[in-house]
Amino acid sequence: MNHKETTKKYYLELEKFDSDLKKLESNNELHLSLNDPYQLHDLCEFLKKNFELRLLSIICSDEQKLNGKFKIRHIFGSDVDDFFLFVISSIDSSHIYFPSIYDVFPSSILYEREINDMFGLIAKENPNIKPLILHDFPNDVFPLRKNFKLNNIVQGNLKQFEFTPITGEGVCEIPVGPIHAGIIEPGHFRFSVVGETIINLETRLGYTHKGIEKLAESMPINDVVFLSERISGDESVANSVAFCQAVEKIAQLTIPKKAQQIRLLFAELERIYNHFGTMGGILADIGFPYGASRLNILKEQMMQLNEKLSGSRILFGINQIGGVKANITDEMLTCIHYVLDDAFQTFEKTFDLLKSNSSVMDRLRNTGIIEKQTARDFGLVGISSRCIGIETDARHTHPYGYYPSINLKQKTPRETMEHQVELQKQIGDVLSRFMNRVNDLRQSKNIIDSITTMENDELSIQMNGELTPYSSGLGYTESHRGETLHWVMIGEHNSIFRYKIRTASFSNWPIIEHAVLNNIVADFPVINKSFDFSYSGNDL
Amino acid sequence: MKKNTGKKDHFIDMSFEPTTIKNPLKMDDSIAANYRGYVTLDPNKDFILNDKIGKILENSCPTHAITYQKDDLKINLDNGKCILCGNCQVKSPELIKITNKFDLAKKRRDDLIETFSMSVPFGKTYDELGKELKNKIDKIFGRSLAIREIDAGSCNGCEIEINALNNPIYDIERYGITFVASPRHADILLVTGPPSKNMERALKIAYDSTPNPKLVIAVGACACSGGIFGNNYATTGGIDNIVPVNVYIPGCPPRPQALLYGILMAINKSGFA
Ligand code: SF4
Repeated sequence: MNHKETTKKYYLELEKFDSDLKKLESNNELHLSLNDPYQLHDLCEFLKKNFELRLLSIICSDEQKLNGKFKIRHIFGSDVDDFFLFVISSIDSSHIYFPSIYDVFPSSILYEREINDMFGLIAKENPNIKPLILHDFPNDVFPLRKNFKLNNIVQGNLKQFEFTPITGEGVCEIPVGPIHAGIIEPGHFRFSVVGETIINLETRLGYTHKGIEKLAESMPINDVVFLSERISGDESVANSVAFCQAVEKIAQLTIPKKAQQIRLLFAELERIYNHFGTMGGILADIGFPYGASRLNILKEQMMQLNEKLSGSRILFGINQIGGVKANITDEMLTCIHYVLDDAFQTFEKTFDLLKSNSSVMDRLRNTGIIEKQTARDFGLVGISSRCIGIETDARHTHPYGYYPSINLKQKTPRETMEHQVELQKQIGDVLSRFMNRVNDLRQSKNIIDSITTMENDELSIQMNGELTPYSSGLGYTESHRGETLHWVMIGEHNSIFRYKIRTASFSNWPIIEHAVLNNIVADFPVINKSFDFSYSGNDL
Repeated sequence: MKKNTGKKDHFIDMSFEPTTIKNPLKMDDSIAANYRGYVTLDPNKDFILNDKIGKILENSCPTHAITYQKDDLKINLDNGKCILCGNCQVKSPELIKITNKFDLAKKRRDDLIETFSMSVPFGKTYDELGKELKNKIDKIFGRSLAIREIDAGSCNGCEIEINALNNPIYDIERYGITFVASPRHADILLVTGPPSKNMERALKIAYDSTPNPKLVIAVGACACSGGIFGNNYATTGGIDNIVPVNVYIPGCPPRPQALLYGILMAINKSGFA
């Protein structure tokens, strides 16, 4: 099915809800404008009943300058079709409330809290409207409103934050963070335990909030690429590609084949070095240093390859709007294949050893189990969703860049069936996340192996002229953590009016509060590592 | 013995007592510019080592002081063998320079060997830095230096490199450095991030709980100046706006060698020594 037919399919269904809605199609997107924001709740129930859609993000933007209103865009996406649905509602600036949809799509809670922090709009029915991102900030400061200047010094009465008290006989609280014992990013975890068992966990993040979205609005559009690389250092390629794709979509640029190919290669290399690292981390957390060392050596090997190819060990400085800056020649490609073959030989040997080591398997199996329904409710993506048999992969459902051009071996019907059975068997524990990483790694290797020669054209093309003010575009990639969405709205003179980033970490974080329940405190590190969240990518 | 009164005598003193004359040649202690002191590997900026040059150099030396390692693209020069014939300089003036210096004495034979490698063209290798660091740590800290890493809002790029120090390749523990779990156990705080406002309080508390004497190292462009995030409503524009900093390690992110170099400098600068 091409884009037109897919959108049409949804379009026809949606007409049954209300034929008056303003609808707009472009590529794989369908935009609906609600006449009255309070239709939203009904529409969401309708969507839930009729389609299999996942809430991807809620984007608010302060468009008071244009039409005196705040716009809120609810983005839904399908995991089967290449389709995005934007539901746009306008909120009057005198009326600071907007409808919450938490009872239909529970994952909306976090987005609504975020909007409350950054714009001061309140999702009326949301039961948990605590501050999310701003900590020691006054109550009346809303950074993403247009009348707030980037460098404003904030003063005033500070926001209050209280952890939900858990009481009862024998219940102890363990506060952890924001500075942790290891070399990791900051965040606060409040455990309530009975004996060794965790009965409740409340996370408080936002410590690494750096004002990235606001900052982008004051930067030249070409420099924002550097900013997007630094959303989360280990996801630099995925994030910068998503940003570039969003802008290229707005500018209607088709970048050269070679640039697409290079983006793909670096994206897969990024996935590989990070998966090695995460698996090493998991093994370190269960006290199996031999395996951890082996995998960390592999990670270092990949990082040195990164440096040889791009000049940066963590792949900074590769993308630019309209293409790439770093070249990969045919010789370099051979070098990549050579290093990967070597690394994967070691990897497979190490993996065999891990599989046959019962003490490793024992610690991983049945630890940190998540439920399928919870995973669906929170809209998990990437490995975190695949570990419970929900397939989300932007590379397949929303093919972008060079991914449609690679031809992997087609699955035979038997293999497809086996794959389905395999999916049903996933129980959502640390082990299944571990195994999914192994699959992901092998798949990445196959993708890179399938590229045998480099395309023969330019590295980049120029973006000419000015972009249409107030046009917007959605860029998406699959990082090693999962689906990554960047939504860009252009302002006047090629500036950025609104830059909304939704990394996989933001979708996945809430699940940790459920995964640790009924586990012992000592297993928390390994459960946390198995999800591989980025704090910086969440807090922005 | 006749005393030299310094007075000018009308009579010539005919005694045969020893006299010394200051500076009989009327020269200072300088060395001729073209004196062949020792040979060093001092590549020009655009020098590229390849197989051809490597082979030529190896063959040019009558005492085999120069060896070429094909696999890792390295040139070794053993000054203990060099007879300063200057052949090699004629063959490759871009790499080889003859200096008129003489300060070459070393305590160990191995230290007379100088290496040039394409991948580390300038400065010291990780291992050399590490050994130097270990000597210092042995002396000053009784063999172990405790570091506490604090992420004050970095993008986690800097953490990747700090973590790499612990992997089996860089293995910083062999030089006596341990990363500890609490600031109360630390000699050095290694701080990353443009410190975000949300981490400001935690960073101050961590600094205050680190026992004196302590050193603070700012790691990465963010920690040095706020980096790309600068000083905005959510960041504070550099660690030194929150706590005093002893050494700044720039880079985005700084590689493991750079981190080691910075730690070494912190110890050298410190009042500990
Ligand atoms: S210096 Fe660079 S790598 Fe380090 S935290 Fe800042 S942006 Fe990230």
